[in-house]
Amino acid sequence: MAKVQVLNVAVLDNPSPFGNPFQFEITFECMEDLPEDLEWKIIYVGSAESEEYDQTLDSVLVGPVPAGRHMFVFQADAPNTGLIPESDAVGVTVVLITCTYRGQEFIRIGYYVNNEYTDPELRENPPLKPDYTQLQRNILASNPRVTRFHINWEGSADRMEDSENVDPAPNISGMLPPSCIPGKVPPLGLMPDNSMDCM
Amino acid sequence: MKLLKPSWVSHNGKPIFSVDIHPDGTKFATGGQGEDSGKVMIWNMAPVLREEDEKNENIPKMLCQMDNHLACVNCVRWSNNGLYLASGGDDKLVMVWKRAAFIGPSTVFGSSSKLANVEQWRCVTILRNHTGDVMDVAWSPHDVWLASCSVDNTIVIWNARKFPEMVTCLRGHTGLVKGLTWDPVGKYIASQADDHSLKVWRTMDWQLETNITKPFSECGGTTHVLRLSWSPDGQYLVSAHAMNNSGPTAQIVERDGWKTNMDFVGHRKAVTVVKFNPKIFKKKQKNGGSPKPSCPYCCCAVGSKDRSLSVWLTSLKRPLVVIHDLFDKSIMDISWTLTGLGILVCSMDGTVAYLDFSLDELGDPLNEEEKNTIHQNIYGKSLAITSTEAQLSTTIIENPEMLKYQQERQNAAQAGSGPGGAGLESTAPKLNSVMNGESLEDIRKNLLKKQVETRTADGRRRITPLCIAQLDTGDFSPALFNSVPILPGSSMPSQLTPQLSSDSSQGQASSLGLRPSHDTLLTSPPVKQSLLLTSASKIEPMKALDSRFTERSKATPGVTADGSSILKDVKNKEETSSDSEDKMAAINKNLSFTKRKADLLMDGGEVVEKRKKGRPRKDKMATPISQCYTNKVLLLLLLNYKLKDCVCVFVQVSMEPSVFLEVENDVSVVAGSKLSQLRCSRDGREWDTLLPSSVVTAAGSSDVIAVACEDRMLSVFSSCGRRLLPAIQLATPMSALHCSSHFVMALTAGARLSVWDVQKQTALVKNESLLTIMSGADTTVSQSLLTQQGVPVIGLSSGKSYCFNSSLETWTLIADKGDSLVQCADFRSCLPSHDAPVSSGPLAVMQGRNLNAGRLASRLSSTPHHLQQSMTLAFLENQLAAALTLLSAQEYRYWLLIYARFLVNEGSEYRLRELCKELLGPVHKSAATAWEPTTLGLRKRELLRELLPVIGQNLRFQRLFTEYQEQLELLRNK
Repeated sequence: MAKVQVLNVAVLDNPSPFGNPFQFEITFECMEDLPEDLEWKIIYVGSAESEEYDQTLDSVLVGPVPAGRHMFVFQADAPNTGLIPESDAVGVTVVLITCTYRGQEFIRIGYYVNNEYTDPELRENPPLKPDYTQLQRNILASNPRVTRFHINWEGSADRMEDSENVDPAPNISGMLPPSCIPGKVPPLGLMPDNSMDCM
Repeated sequence: MKLLKPSWVSHNGKPIFSVDIHPDGTKFATGGQGEDSGKVMIWNMAPVLREEDEKNENIPKMLCQMDNHLACVNCVRWSNNGLYLASGGDDKLVMVWKRAAFIGPSTVFGSSSKLANVEQWRCVTILRNHTGDVMDVAWSPHDVWLASCSVDNTIVIWNARKFPEMVTCLRGHTGLVKGLTWDPVGKYIASQADDHSLKVWRTMDWQLETNITKPFSECGGTTHVLRLSWSPDGQYLVSAHAMNNSGPTAQIVERDGWKTNMDFVGHRKAVTVVKFNPKIFKKKQKNGGSPKPSCPYCCCAVGSKDRSLSVWLTSLKRPLVVIHDLFDKSIMDISWTLTGLGILVCSMDGTVAYLDFSLDELGDPLNEEEKNTIHQNIYGKSLAITSTEAQLSTTIIENPEMLKYQQERQNAAQAGSGPGGAGLESTAPKLNSVMNGESLEDIRKNLLKKQVETRTADGRRRITPLCIAQLDTGDFSPALFNSVPILPGSSMPSQLTPQLSSDSSQGQASSLGLRPSHDTLLTSPPVKQSLLLTSASKIEPMKALDSRFTERSKATPGVTADGSSILKDVKNKEETSSDSEDKMAAINKNLSFTKRKADLLMDGGEVVEKRKKGRPRKDKMATPISQCYTNKVLLLLLLNYKLKDCVCVFVQVSMEPSVFLEVENDVSVVAGSKLSQLRCSRDGREWDTLLPSSVVTAAGSSDVIAVACEDRMLSVFSSCGRRLLPAIQLATPMSALHCSSHFVMALTAGARLSVWDVQKQTALVKNESLLTIMSGADTTVSQSLLTQQGVPVIGLSSGKSYCFNSSLETWTLIADKGDSLVQCADFRSCLPSHDAPVSSGPLAVMQGRNLNAGRLASRLSSTPHHLQQSMTLAFLENQLAAALTLLSAQEYRYWLLIYARFLVNEGSEYRLRELCKELLGPVHKSAATAWEPTTLGLRKRELLRELLPVIGQNLRFQRLFTEYQEQLELLRNK
């Protein structure tokens, strides 16, 4: 079983202008003292079409982690707009928070993100070239998608052979582990009713 | 009989593989498949039992869900005492859960269900050994062991008193082991596997008692589980899936000879689970019926793949009831209530059913006493299990002395904190209040600003998380001693303070002030600064010495005086500076410092600082082996000074009685040779003597005065000026000279060491070479001293300190500042609460402040607990041995107490017992015993008497306590 359990992720500064940094307040619990640091990453999915537009906004080491309950705020700069396809700038995308221990990802938290213009005029007639200064980012904080992976927490032994350990591709569909038995996890296409209006 | 299928008990339609009712009957656990993991859920029993509770919105149905298992949970079982829940799953793990009391309701992050957990169950242990899916787990009677079986063909017996310790692994099955049951008497454990066998193992030696194969030879390995069961009277073992004439049965195995003559027949498909009612019944006495005592009988429920359930009484030939089509899929598990009247059944179809029987249907359950009587009648008094103790919390205190210590301990705990060592603890409540309620919100608001962020060597961001709660259940980390928010990265608590909210920082600071082991420099930085401003340059070296030698002294008034100062002046200063060691901290000492500075300046550059200390001689040698003939500035020699051209030097060598030594070289020239004068003042009485050569160095104690001259002659005088020995000729010039009580130690420039006992006129150390310890290119002697017991100690620049053990005639290592054990050892919790730490003994002097830093660093180290425990143990044993070698009785006693406390806390019985045995010695005197009643002048039995209250604090050792307490009493009366 995982030595680290994520208890809560609070999305701070949400909704906010597109250029604001991401802020997640992460609370986690650790069963035993961890000899090594945890590595957390925020990955912004630039386009649902291809993972080549994924941007790792930041990665940060967290440690030392003694047994107990801990919290920290993970802040990362907004995505580089130059790397986002213009057609995907406005609309729904995904931001992923991943955590790895000894290079093995054991949890992936995905949030839907809706980027839209606040100005109704712009919303009606969006400019061809996205105006990022006018975009508002809204993270659907109430509906995180959590995927946990089985990893080898003891460093000495060789890595577990399970296919589950293969890091999922950091793609929008990567919120599901590739080895997941279909049907075990609700398909991502099922958007919750209360989500933002999609284009 | 009533039947209910509570539809709300579900794993969202996923299969439920296991169900178990809590011993107190208020809740039950289910285990099975979760969304993408295994799932354990705990449910409230009340809504099952009563309709009104089911309808009452305010009564929670689901109490807790745990999705920590990574794959399907095959079995959940409550311990007999109800404190723990064990679960085993396809992820090869067994997890043991315990209820965490202090945390409020919470949800599982990211789970689709928004139901809050009403109770918090936390995984306290993960048992890893199986290499395949865990199919069944079972607690032994009295919760001594936990057994788990797996598709890896093995059964593992875990020590339930000391998770995750493994008692044994039972091998022998050649197929997937799918069911386990303990003999209620505790003598056996039985297992059933896909290899067409049922095996019974003895708990005495964990060997196979019998292997039953015949009833299973026709079986195919088609059932998911094979949950067999032992009858509550221990007489019958009933298997799951067996075959009789190609019909599925549940085989009855008799304890007597393991005969297999009877079975339960009637199910159309394989039997998956058999479960005996925990009660033994007797026939209900009808009104007016015959009082003839009827034979007690048992009740057994059988579930099958054919989706039906049958309930049998061993007194009847036919089943009491058979319920068909209760489920859509195979029955997976059955659990009786402890009352014996209710039964929960779960199925692969994801539902559970509850059956409620009446006493009329089952009969009158025997009470526990009657059940025990049956057990005793059958098995005699030799119930295997009675030899093991009951839970410690319920252990009866057998000894009034023990009770006293236990009560004292409770009182101490209630008082919150004792003086001294409890300083840090006293901050805990304060911080807890900060952590609760709104204050946690405050912390959260500023978390981003407050959290410590550093860069690693390769430039990466590294955030130190804020610890907001400790784990309340495990003993996993000594670092979480208090629920102080730990902001690691700073190694000293005082550095923590600015990062915490103001009230907590006050708490920290004041608590630091309370701690006697902290040196003043840390706690009062402003004072230190002001001192530096007023008397900068002269103080610096003083401070270096202070911090090096004297972490804290037992109010040894020290004084410094100049050569030309007169005695009166010295005495004045003595009065103003009551405690020379603490003068750094005291502002009013500024005056005396500046005054002295002035004195020094008037002295025309001949600066000889003298500090006197009553106890162990300490000195500093700037350049050790090669003799240094510094002309003018002789820095800070304690007791010991070197001089050549100096005209006059004055030093106080002893406090009680006060002895001052004055040396004047070249007083007169007689026949071409220069004479030197040695003057000594002892309690106001003076004597003087003349030496034919210039005095290079002198040293003294209350008993002897030693003087080394330029012509390599060493002269030793009594305190009254009598020459005690003829001049000793040394091979090389004197490098360091020490006197201590009636011992004289000489370290020569040829790196040779000698120690003489002047009283007995014998050599304790004969011209011993230091080359043994001075291996390595540029190690030099940085410190040397002679203890009151005449043990020479040499500190090297490499950080190692050695003493010469004259009985072993070897150098022994007593301290190593680079020793990683020191850094990692954490015995903070074992420090005595009221005694000030012994920081004045030779061991403390040689180890210095290093010890303190280590103690603090250990708070933050991420060493696993078991490793840290071993390191602490090793460190404490090193300390004990070193104190013993140094003949430092007080330090020995101090470390012995810490060591004993640590052993008691960690429960190391063997070491503790050996220690007690050694201290007690043989009760009856015999010529053959070589036992010494004292060690370092301390009476061993007195030490043992001191240890007993410590031992008495852990109820686990009450037998040990009683044993030694009684023997001590016995010896005292003799």
